Amino acid sequence: MVDKKIRIDVLTLDSVQCAACGYMMESIAALPDDVQGMIEYREWPIKTKEGIARFMELKGKVLPTICIEGDPVFASCIPQYEELIEEMARRAPSPEAAEKLMALRHVGFQFDKVGENLKKAGSGLNTREGQK
Amino acid sequence: MSKKMLIEALRCNRTPRAPWFPYACINCAYLLGETADRYLQDPELIAKGVEAAAKRYRADGIPLVFDLSVEANAVGCELSWWPDNVPSVATHPCAQMVSPRQLGLKLPTKDSGRWPVLLEAGKLAKPRLDALDCAMVGLYCGPLTLASHLAGVRIFTDFYKNQEFAHEVLEFAAEVNAVSAAFYAELGCEVIGIVDPVASQVKSATFREFVTPYVQKGIQVIHDAGATSMFLICGDCTKVMEEVCTIGTQSFAIDEQLNLGYVRDMALRHRVGFAGNLKLTLSLSLGVIPPREDALVSLAAGGTHGFVLAPG
Repeated sequence: MVDKKIRIDVLTLDSVQCAACGYMMESIAALPDDVQGMIEYREWPIKTKEGIARFMELKGKVLPTICIEGDPVFASCIPQYEELIEEMARRAPSPEAAEKLMALRHVGFQFDKVGENLKKAGSGLNTREGQK
Repeated sequence: MSKKMLIEALRCNRTPRAPWFPYACINCAYLLGETADRYLQDPELIAKGVEAAAKRYRADGIPLVFDLSVEANAVGCELSWWPDNVPSVATHPCAQMVSPRQLGLKLPTKDSGRWPVLLEAGKLAKPRLDALDCAMVGLYCGPLTLASHLAGVRIFTDFYKNQEFAHEVLEFAAEVNAVSAAFYAELGCEVIGIVDPVASQVKSATFREFVTPYVQKGIQVIHDAGATSMFLICGDCTKVMEEVCTIGTQSFAIDEQLNLGYVRDMALRHRVGFAGNLKLTLSLSLGVIPPREDALVSLAAGGTHGFVLAPG
């Protein structure tokens, strides 16, 4: 059976305008390929109605914040690679998925597909109301 | 409009009213009906834009630009351009843990990256702003944010796992900062600010080790030139507020996520000026809070001792 993907929401001001928000997004987009296959993520800029709604729903307190499976885990604190892996493993859908993630703890960030991954997550593409 | 009042407040003196420092940047492009990417690559448009914004907002000071990609681009980072936003840094030359020295990255000159555009824009804008008694403010990307641009998000892991590499990147960033400070001082900027938004995203011990030492070269250049110094930080920087107050600049600026009463008390205790914190998202962008009432709240909390009204 294929595991459900781990849901990551990044609450931002706007990852283009705000460097801290940008590096929060990059911390997810630079995760290695094997981790990318286990997660789904999206940026929620607070400049849009959707972003405000998501901020409220996830009980965000500060920007930027990384939420994993609905938990605001990294609030105003850009995570280290290992911290991210451990927090995702804690919330993995199965013990096997958690084990797989922990086995990737030594790999480290990879930057060759960051641009592509950011684009998939809608980074910089949905930063104001009414934008398509 | 009064540049003297802005400088007095930033130096933590009392002023007849709270001076006003809007960080207009690409809003200037909007005022001219231009796209951000076109605006930021044309010196005459930048000069026209800051002049238009200074007049429209009756500003006591205005930044030439508020764009944290300038330094990174000048040392080799590639940019992504946006029609409605500042450019973002698209590549990190040190991402494979190769230091700036090993890569042979050179300190910027007046011909590097976008500096020719900015230096020309500054020359054109300065007399126009002088005529309005509005200070021209030079803002450059601070060391931690620049280190993030150079090495990517890995730098936050390197603070713990590869400290020697992290220090090498920060040392280079500090030298780049000193060059930017010198360029802005030469343009005649009365106020020069170090903008380090990412510095709010680290623990206080990390800030003391990887931010405080690396802003000193730039601060020295600013003070030697007789200009007034600022440190601008974003986000929830509660955990590093003590470090921000004692970093060595004459003033600092915070954003809407901090309580201005708390910030005022800390700033006055350390005898530094403070700027903030109109609610950029809730009020100015979204209108969830009426901007007029929001401004009144900031003005009441900030007072007229060392306070500058600014967007947060």
